[in-house]
Amino acid sequence: MNIADLPWLSIVIFFPLLAALFIPFFPYEEGKVEQEKTAYRLRWYALIVGLIDFVLIVIAFYYNYDFSNPGMQLVESYTWVPQLDLKWSVGADGLSMPLILLTGFITTLAILASWPVTLKPRLFYFLMLAMYAGQLGVFAVQDMLLFFLMWELELIPVYLLLSIWGGKRRLYAATKFILYTAGGSLFILVAALAMAFYGDTITFDMSALMAKDYPLKLQLLLYSAFLIAYAVKLPIFPLHTWLPDAHGEATAPVHMLLAGILLKMGGYALIRMNVEMLPEAHAYFAPILVIFGVINIIYAALTSWAQRNLKRKIAYSSISHMGFVIIGIASFTNLGLSGAVLQMVSHGLIGASLFFLVGATYDRTHTLILSEMGGVGKKMPKIFAMFTTCSLASLALPGMSGFVAELMVFVGFATSDAYSSTFKLLIVILMAVGVILTPIYLLSMLREIFYGPENKELVEHEALIDAEPREVFIIACLLIPIIGFGFYPKLLTQVYDAKTVALTSRLREEAIELADTSSPTGALAAIQPFKAPSLSP
Amino acid sequence: MELLYQYAWLIPVLPLLGAMVLGIGLISYSKFTSQLRQVSSAFIVTLTGAAMVFSGALFWSQVQGHAPYRQMFEWASAGDFQLSMGYTIDHLAALMLVIVTTVAFLVMIYTDGYMAHDPGYVRFYAYLSLFSSSMLGLVISPNLIQVYVFWELVGMCSYLLIGFWYDRGPAADACQKAFVTNRIGDFGLLLGILALFWATGTFEFDLMGDRLSDLVQSGGLSLAWAGVFAVLVFLGPVAKSAQFPLHVWLPDAMEGPTPISALIHAATMVAAGVFLIARMFPVFEQIPSVMTIVAWTGAVTAFLGASIAITQNDIKKGLAYSTMSQLGYMVMAMGVGAYGAGLFHLMTHAYFKAMLFLGSGSVIHGMEEVVGHDPALAQDMRLMGGLRKYMPITAITFLIGTLAICGIPPFAGFWSKDEILGSTFAVSPVLWLVGWLTAGATAFYMFRMYFSTFEGPFRGNDKEIRQQLQYEKLQRLGLSLGPGAMNPQELVLQTEADEHEAAHHHSDFPHESPLAMTFPLMVLAVPSALIGLVGTPFADYFEAFIHPHTEAIAAVAESAEALEAFDWNEFLIMGGSSVGIALIGITLASLMYRSRQIDPGAIAKQIESLYQLSLNKWYIDEIYDAVFVKGSRGLAKQVLEVDVRIVDGLVNLAGFVALVTGEGLKYLENGRAQFYALIVFGAVLGLVLISGLT
Repeated sequence: MNIADLPWLSIVIFFPLLAALFIPFFPYEEGKVEQEKTAYRLRWYALIVGLIDFVLIVIAFYYNYDFSNPGMQLVESYTWVPQLDLKWSVGADGLSMPLILLTGFITTLAILASWPVTLKPRLFYFLMLAMYAGQLGVFAVQDMLLFFLMWELELIPVYLLLSIWGGKRRLYAATKFILYTAGGSLFILVAALAMAFYGDTITFDMSALMAKDYPLKLQLLLYSAFLIAYAVKLPIFPLHTWLPDAHGEATAPVHMLLAGILLKMGGYALIRMNVEMLPEAHAYFAPILVIFGVINIIYAALTSWAQRNLKRKIAYSSISHMGFVIIGIASFTNLGLSGAVLQMVSHGLIGASLFFLVGATYDRTHTLILSEMGGVGKKMPKIFAMFTTCSLASLALPGMSGFVAELMVFVGFATSDAYSSTFKLLIVILMAVGVILTPIYLLSMLREIFYGPENKELVEHEALIDAEPREVFIIACLLIPIIGFGFYPKLLTQVYDAKTVALTSRLREEAIELADTSSPTGALAAIQPFKAPSLSP
Repeated sequence: MELLYQYAWLIPVLPLLGAMVLGIGLISYSKFTSQLRQVSSAFIVTLTGAAMVFSGALFWSQVQGHAPYRQMFEWASAGDFQLSMGYTIDHLAALMLVIVTTVAFLVMIYTDGYMAHDPGYVRFYAYLSLFSSSMLGLVISPNLIQVYVFWELVGMCSYLLIGFWYDRGPAADACQKAFVTNRIGDFGLLLGILALFWATGTFEFDLMGDRLSDLVQSGGLSLAWAGVFAVLVFLGPVAKSAQFPLHVWLPDAMEGPTPISALIHAATMVAAGVFLIARMFPVFEQIPSVMTIVAWTGAVTAFLGASIAITQNDIKKGLAYSTMSQLGYMVMAMGVGAYGAGLFHLMTHAYFKAMLFLGSGSVIHGMEEVVGHDPALAQDMRLMGGLRKYMPITAITFLIGTLAICGIPPFAGFWSKDEILGSTFAVSPVLWLVGWLTAGATAFYMFRMYFSTFEGPFRGNDKEIRQQLQYEKLQRLGLSLGPGAMNPQELVLQTEADEHEAAHHHSDFPHESPLAMTFPLMVLAVPSALIGLVGTPFADYFEAFIHPHTEAIAAVAESAEALEAFDWNEFLIMGGSSVGIALIGITLASLMYRSRQIDPGAIAKQIESLYQLSLNKWYIDEIYDAVFVKGSRGLAKQVLEVDVRIVDGLVNLAGFVALVTGEGLKYLENGRAQFYALIVFGAVLGLVLISGLT
């Protein structure tokens, strides 16, 4: 059989799931020593499964993915429920491929990061592997109903991982998370059904849905429904309040997945459904998205600054960084959209590394309150160095991927011809204010944890051992792509460039067409920053 | 020759490699690497030396008249949009390369002596190398976006190096302050870059200037907006080159080890602002209002810096304010259009200020033997005095540097400062007056520094002064004990540590520093004394070499004319007046601090308020703290309150309402049909009543 003909995506999705099913067969043993042995075996088992899956993804990417093709690749489609026209159909294009790679990479590292987990290792690793599959599924499936299923499927492991291995307020956080996201999912389902049943044919296939021509009013409705769902996930102010709680209570590996991948699902789905399927509505909603993006950047940066809990601080910083994704999506330029995708991948890497380090610090200090730390840099120079590097990456230091992404969004938005100059000026200034705020909260965080004289109480009560090789290895793995993309962004952008270019040109065409036929009315007219007529074809 | 240019990218890459090797070594094999002290330093110094030789060769080739060289590659792209990076070697870049590499090389040699006993020796070399790499990348940047990249990177290195002794509270505060203040400048720079790109569609300096002038002329962009864009870009240099009002970080940055103060916060990085103005000259020179703003910012900074430096007792703080003041001169020169003069002063200042800082480091190193490793004691000039006897080489080189900065001919500073003042006078006599007065103040505070450090009796063992200094330090700590500033315990800890240190001093008198430290001093003394001779008004080789691109041809012709039409009269008047005021300053300093015929304390008492204003740095830090720091901190707290109470509160309220209604409905739904029927009946009755009433 030819290597190109293998059902690669299905294999990589099902492999971790199948492997997870073997976990119950690990012998159950009495006694502490034996249990530790089992935990040890489980760890390696999960890690190897994760690694193999990642290698499979890379092989599929390397041999069967063509950079210059803007369409779907690695496509598979099998009929599942013919009555509903429900198909198992997966595929990857420039939008999903980077995120699939990111998922494989981060999840494998998260398994490696969960070495210290000793509570119920069987269930833990089972859930981790199940989540692996669920996450890959969300990015790969090309069927609306299937997408909804995958979206829901990945919630359950997160809920359990939060509510069993979380911090003190884990139940509250987990419940909040599940209520929020499940509430959001409802909107996806409704919108998906509406789209599927609209018109002559009933179909859930995404490309078929994309081809359908919805009237503008319906598009606006559908767009709002999707937006609510994805705004919860991404998150967008004011639907973000689940995130500090969930992130504040999760353990490090879960944390890495939450920040590294789950947030990206929101961004991915926003581009995939709102932008790709409802481009006309997007033309109307874009200015609103931009405004929300700016609110995200500044609001979350300010809350992060005032936050005294380390995990919640970083959690808010995630919200702030997602603002750039939203603005990039709404910029109507190649550069902006490209920057948005880059920012998603970049934040996936940086967020994961920061959260991992927060976990590593917590393992030693056993406190997350900043004022209870101080001066630990002397005892833990390696963690100090890594934390500093990752914080600098997060504040968009040049030479790291975050800088390129933010710069692309900045330049893309500033040169966008879809908005009036005044609006652009205002937004760019506010975005740049975020650039001042980010170092303030990140550096003052470093200041409070590591700098200054040692906190006597902490030093006396806690064994502050420095990073072990495993931890250094994880951070090194994350830093290599962060710095690699920072030095030479084309490494990553070439993977999806064809796709974003095609998408942008389609968006612009639709926007120009729309401007010729109608003009914004009602509440949309009040905002009026969007001047579609000025778009030149 | 071409080969040399093709491989010019090695200049920043070599130190980067060095930093990476040491960095990886420190993370992976920290104990082993930290022990490889001499090996690491030799490795880094060799790499920097190689970069220096390379730069020298390029510089020579440029002097010989080689055409500017440029190499670009596509860095990032999206669709048909491309961002390019690369390097350019022209006269300005070659000059900066030589300045940066030579100072960096000497500072690295010096570091071996200065940091000999520091546990972070290897880490320090890694940072130094990383900084050199970023700075070299900055000076060969061909476009604004790359300048911005390296601009941020040098800022990051500065952050790391100021906070090098991270267990010291003040250093921790200072590094954060430096980074954030610079980010405020970068905020303007970024906006300016974006705005100029939006207007002109390019990041290239020359092209940008041309297109902007076309736009303004054709009416596509009003001059006012062009001015706003240029001022935004100028905000970058304002922060980086410590210009008023963003100068506050530089004096605090002296918390870093002294070699850093010499390399980054005197000779190279802070001059990057002036360098950027030089690169942006094609844009700036077309907008008169911007040039005026630049010139006045420079003048105000020059005066402000000098006025504060007069009363500082910490030798490094004094030098820091003097750096600020000299940077003000350079910026002022740029503002009045004296491009060559500004860069000339940048070069001479780089050498003599680096030497002065290294000299002060040598003094501190000597003092630490007597008073222990407490910066509050080791750096205070009130404890010094008479050091010439113990540290002759340091004293002589420091004197040369002092003469150079005061503008005494034939030392380097005279020629560059004279040129700046001369060009300023031609544009605005008021600005000249500010510069002239500042020159007098400079001579005064520099000689005050020299006399109180190297002349008179040694006061290092005076218990009374020591106690007073300790007391002042505690007071300072107490003042900065604002909310979140520091732990109250720190105060106690600090004093304990000090007592411990003080008990451990090694000798009663300081000694001359080791050769590794005096050698760079001696080498730097040569350019400090002589380099001004390349830019004398009667044979201005410097001006002929360095000139803005756009004026290339015109300037060469002009300078040739200027050479012929050199006016002795004018030179003597201008030069004479600046030397004159310098001599007045020196005489005053000598009377007050050498022969003690005038009591400075009495004067200070007479003008108490002015004295306090200068001593407290015009209270600018306090004002910023009260207005900006507290204000924004308060805002952040408010926003968090809103987030927790209102945004999240609504969510929880929704959950609570759902719960309560659920609980409430539970009692209604009891499964008895009669009860349901009752409710239906009641509802119908209610509806009928309502419809009947209305």
